[in-house]
Amino acid sequence: MLTAAKNQLRVCGLSVRYNIMREMLNRVTFLTNIGFMILNNATFIVQWVILFHLKEDIGGYRMSDVMLLWGLAASSYGLSRILFARAFSLPGLIINGKLDAYLVQPKNVLLSVITSSTNTSAIGDLIYGFLIVCLFCFSVNRLLLFTLFTITGTVIVTAFSLLMGSLSFWFVRADAFGDNMVNCLISFSTYPDGIFQGTARFLLYNIIPVGMAIYQPIHIMIEFDGRSLLIVLGYAALLTAAAVFVFYRGLRRYSSSNLMEVRQ
Amino acid sequence: MNVIETENLSKTFRVKQKEKGIAGSMRSIFHPQTQEIPAVNHISFQVEEGEMLAFIGPNGAGKSTTIKMLTGILYPDGGRAEVLGLDPSRKRKQLAYKIGTVFGQKEQLWTHLTPYDNFRFFSAVYDLPDREAEARIQELSDTFELSGFINTPVRNLSLGQRIRCEIVASLIHRPRILFLDEPTIGLDPVVKENIRSLIRQMNRELHTTIFLTSHDIGDIEKLCKRIIIVNNGQIVLDDSMSHLKYHYLNRKILEIKQQEETPLPSAKGITVLKQNGSHIKLEVDTGIIRINDALRLINAEHVEDITISNVPLENIITEIYKSADIGA
Amino acid sequence: MRKYAVIYRSVLMENLQYAMNIAFGFISYFIFIYVFICLWNYMYASPEELIAGYTKEQMIWYVMITEGMWFGTRSGTVTRQAATDIRNGNIAYLMNKPYHYTLYILTKYTAEWGIRLPMYAALSISMGLTMVGRLPGFRLVSLLATLPVILLGITINAVFKLCISLISFWIEDSNPFQWIYDKLILVIGTIFPVEIFPAALQPVFRLTPIYTVCYGPAKLVVDFSWEKFLEIVAAQIIYLAVGCGLMFFLYGKGVKKLHVNGG
Repeated sequence: MLTAAKNQLRVCGLSVRYNIMREMLNRVTFLTNIGFMILNNATFIVQWVILFHLKEDIGGYRMSDVMLLWGLAASSYGLSRILFARAFSLPGLIINGKLDAYLVQPKNVLLSVITSSTNTSAIGDLIYGFLIVCLFCFSVNRLLLFTLFTITGTVIVTAFSLLMGSLSFWFVRADAFGDNMVNCLISFSTYPDGIFQGTARFLLYNIIPVGMAIYQPIHIMIEFDGRSLLIVLGYAALLTAAAVFVFYRGLRRYSSSNLMEVRQ
Repeated sequence: MNVIETENLSKTFRVKQKEKGIAGSMRSIFHPQTQEIPAVNHISFQVEEGEMLAFIGPNGAGKSTTIKMLTGILYPDGGRAEVLGLDPSRKRKQLAYKIGTVFGQKEQLWTHLTPYDNFRFFSAVYDLPDREAEARIQELSDTFELSGFINTPVRNLSLGQRIRCEIVASLIHRPRILFLDEPTIGLDPVVKENIRSLIRQMNRELHTTIFLTSHDIGDIEKLCKRIIIVNNGQIVLDDSMSHLKYHYLNRKILEIKQQEETPLPSAKGITVLKQNGSHIKLEVDTGIIRINDALRLINAEHVEDITISNVPLENIITEIYKSADIGA
Repeated sequence: MRKYAVIYRSVLMENLQYAMNIAFGFISYFIFIYVFICLWNYMYASPEELIAGYTKEQMIWYVMITEGMWFGTRSGTVTRQAATDIRNGNIAYLMNKPYHYTLYILTKYTAEWGIRLPMYAALSISMGLTMVGRLPGFRLVSLLATLPVILLGITINAVFKLCISLISFWIEDSNPFQWIYDKLILVIGTIFPVEIFPAALQPVFRLTPIYTVCYGPAKLVVDFSWEKFLEIVAAQIIYLAVGCGLMFFLYGKGVKKLHVNGG
């Protein structure tokens, strides 16, 4: 059991390493992608400078809190797309029957699939997140918490997109739906939760998991609360379990929803 | 001992239909039409250890679907399959350690890495310890003569070298059965021959069972001792190669070049395939007329050149496809 | 001209099949606008307050229009497809066809948003009327007058994005440049009107494509004046001419380079 897990991790590690090596083949492209993504994220600082110029407190957040929010969103989403980029493009693989290569390997299909590609610009996202913490609101405790929440955020974001992507096993149109749901997650995760009230708040903590991925961690980083921390961890574990369950349920249908391409 | 057994194996696909024109596009948004197509329809056969089997049929006959069910990629809708005593859809991982797969156009290698790094990756996938992996790679590299390019990134290799590496990569874990889906597609004749001898060698030296699909008659003729032909998801022929040839080779092709044009021989059992002045091509059904009787009908005086040959295997197979179509 | 009409028609047909996908795209748009409604509701302390000369309704309608133009015209044709055609050498085949490649891409793109944009317009209007309220001092005539400005704005944007894709003739990946262009348009012209920025910066923004691509059309819808209309149309014509000039220039140069290198 333990050796199996170790071997599995080794293969995943190799996959990620080889993916990044592939991206690094063209050094200039690799570096511009990362650099421009950092720049890209930084343009939003303009937006918040303007908004905070109009009002000092937005939804209970100050400028430094919003920066932290942006940082966590960038690093979670970034790490998720460095390690598990395929979780975001699952429908294409399912619809075109491209899971075959992973199914003939004696390894965990899910892990083999989601670690089979990477996204260079996501490295820029991850760097941006940590830059923000170090430049705007540094403390050792905060950095440690930030790292922890980047990991839980990564898990939640990956699990959510996996869940959405797996819908493609049942519905062909699910790819567009899933993409949009993941986009929603990103849209919401860069605005203070204080501006959302009522139903929206309920949705953000229940349907679209941005509450547990981003907002709750921000609150914990502003004012530490051990119970909330446990809730975040529990939520991440639960959502992952649900995503894995749905993926394997869907995989059984991989056959019947298959298109002609598979047959040649 | 049987390594593959199937019994009434079946699989149906649902395919979306679209009507013509803008109106059709509109309609298909609200009422998507689907049609059920039986890709594999009650297929039963057995394969013994060490056999080299050609599994052939026209496009869409159900070859790939069958292979995919045998390797655990697709779940069958009906019937039973057992590979090395395991149910592929239930014991997918266990089975994966014992079989190898090469899917012609689909590449499993990382193109930016060298074959060596790729083999190391697959060694990790199949849980080979470092030392064993090293020895195995060395052994395969020697056997299949890869040493010239084992440290060149795969993207810089020729197509032939690449396919060779693909095949070797799927041998890293010493599979007992190797499934090859169109392994020689798009290769030039020299490379094809190379791949074929590699496959033969594997079968002879490692006693690997070979399960091959191909559109290339050469692959089939030169490699396989047994042939299964499928069409429309059903087996239309399961026979040994020599048997097949014996049954279908009762017809000979007679090609004659004459000095001047002479009247065509006519008798029951002789069909004129082509006539171009003094150059004629005949098919002789030896079940009806003996070949020496047929030759007697030709005026030997004027013959400049004569060739007697078998009907090409390709034609035989095409005929079997066609007759199966009519039957269905 | 006829061949471009045929291209338009066939792409339109192909895209009808994806109408469902477009409808799903509404979710993202809805959420985006919803976030802004929440944001501006929070920012405006009282309903009568003016920020940078805009009422709350005008501010939200402004975002809805610019974002509607953004979502309604989103497609990989002028960006990803053009860049890929160039990178993988596919362009060598497309070049020899009896049409101009850049015009082919623009026509294809136009057909794509020909379906999307009206759908987004309908969504924007219904969302605006139910969730934001009517625009103060709005007249239908001014919307009709603004329509060509919107179409011109979209086309200018497409031309510029295609120009960025064309630099793929020289560099491996033009995507990062697209992001930066997009983000400038987004942060400066889309989510806020230009007036919200410090007065010193505004003349600079007037010189960027932002003025013609998103600010101009949206401004005219929420606060129409003939004076502004003429100013923006004039700027758009200049921009379109410059943009097309640049596009043909880059394409010509790129193709020449391709011939030299043999693709």
